[in-house]
Amino acid sequence: MQKIETLSQPSLSSHLRALYALIRKDWKQYWRYPLNAVSSVFQPLIWIAPVYFMGMAFSVNGKAIGFSQYSGTTDFMSFILLGTVLESFINAVFWGMGYALKNDMDSGVMESNWLTPIPRLLILVGHSVTNLLITAITSLGMLLFAGLVFGFHTSGDVMQAMLPIIPMMIGLYGFGFAFAAVVMLIREANTLVDVSSFLVQIFSGSNFPVNALPKFLLPVALALPLTYGLDAVRSLLIGTQTIMPIRLELVLLIVFMFVMLWIGIVTFRSLERRVRTLGTLGQH
Amino acid sequence: MNANSNSLAVRGFPSDLRAFWAVVRREWTVFVRYPSWIVSLLIWPVIFPMGYILTARALSGVDGSGLATFKTSTGLTEYVGYIAVGTMIWMWQNIVLWAVGYSLRNEQLRGTLESNWLSPTWRFSYLLGSSVPQMVSMLLLLAISGLEYVLLFGVKFNGSLWLTLLVILAAIPSVYGLGFAFASVVITVKEANAFVFLVRGIVMIFCGITYPLMLLPGWMQSVAQWLPQTYVIHAMRSAALSTEGFTGISHDLLMMTVFGIFWLAVGYILFVIMERRARQTGAIGQY
Repeated sequence: MQKIETLSQPSLSSHLRALYALIRKDWKQYWRYPLNAVSSVFQPLIWIAPVYFMGMAFSVNGKAIGFSQYSGTTDFMSFILLGTVLESFINAVFWGMGYALKNDMDSGVMESNWLTPIPRLLILVGHSVTNLLITAITSLGMLLFAGLVFGFHTSGDVMQAMLPIIPMMIGLYGFGFAFAAVVMLIREANTLVDVSSFLVQIFSGSNFPVNALPKFLLPVALALPLTYGLDAVRSLLIGTQTIMPIRLELVLLIVFMFVMLWIGIVTFRSLERRVRTLGTLGQH
Repeated sequence: MNANSNSLAVRGFPSDLRAFWAVVRREWTVFVRYPSWIVSLLIWPVIFPMGYILTARALSGVDGSGLATFKTSTGLTEYVGYIAVGTMIWMWQNIVLWAVGYSLRNEQLRGTLESNWLSPTWRFSYLLGSSVPQMVSMLLLLAISGLEYVLLFGVKFNGSLWLTLLVILAAIPSVYGLGFAFASVVITVKEANAFVFLVRGIVMIFCGITYPLMLLPGWMQSVAQWLPQTYVIHAMRSAALSTEGFTGISHDLLMMTVFGIFWLAVGYILFVIMERRARQTGAIGQY
């Protein structure tokens, strides 16, 4: 069989150049709208401000005694702020890939990008890198500001907290790949992104300890790997009590990481093939 | 010489009405084209307040000691209905900001705004027309929210249905007036997300969606008095949850009417200014 003639010579360095180009493009586009950038620092604070005032109504001298019965800490704001920061990173992967594809569809560049000799998963990863970088910057700003306004106290070792964060974030890429493929297929991202990220945020215990959930909802929380990630990071940084022994949580996170990556890649490849067969890549 | 002599268009009230209807039809077609709106209507009223309700549940504690503190400090006996109604109004304003506020911006992004602007139609109909399907979907959302709160959260609506409908009616001018003003600003400034975040953030922090306003510092309470949503939320809670009757909402209704007239006027004036500015700078097609 005759080999198909192509002028492109994909190599590792060409892939890296493509990745760099994607990151640069997203970075430039993001900072083009500076007000949006500033608002992303304050946006999480706005979401948790009602929780702060509500929490004060449940507290005596700033200590939430009822909350400590579930979480092991009376400092509910540090608990919530830490959850908010981690959720921002989680959303960055969700939004960074699924939503970026929708943006490409709307701008009419999706089909032409797809025709380039770049691995498609690399395009998705490229879209998420800028988001992660921006999230790191805005989260730092948010924590500094929130520390001044609401108070933020941590006693643990940040480097040790990376132990659960790394497998959790890598596993999230698996979620993100599968999710991006679904967006490609149904060509609508907003509702899907908003609803799923909100549900994940609730059930993984971003704003409250999951053992406060009604009994019938608890299995949903325990089925999410993110629950163990958030739980372990909080335990290492602010000394909350964990759902399971922390070693077991770390093992679970590593297992989930491999499983989610595998499921994500397989789902993406299968759905992407379907979209190409349907010929709906350029539609939105 | 008559400046319009070379134009084939004959503008009049019927043609403006037809244009308005065309915008309504187009927006409705786009709206129903993506069936995820059904999912949104069913899911959001449940999951949005759920986050706050579950946090309140965790703050209450296993033995309810936190809840006892809450009752002492606020004078409220339960928090579920209180949070559900507050968040429902916030969702309404938020969706109006995105949908109505974004209507012109979306046209700008699609590249159809400039060509539409050149047609001999009443330009305000683009904004007004886009709000009609939105209003229909919002009434549906409010009805579904109420049903779901009863069925899933066990909220007891002890108030009056008619007074609740009256509050919704009185709230429409201020909620949509703000949307019109917002749409005009966004089309000029272009950074729509930041403005939505700012406006809905102000409502979220100052209007007491999850807590009584008396918990706020004095200066924040003063700011809250200048926001129509404060009165909408208070009136809705009073009309739907309590048995206070008309006297419980009369002051709120008056304030909502005043704010409604104010925001509709501001919305229209800003639109006229934006339209003139856009024609002078020629920037309407840029994004």
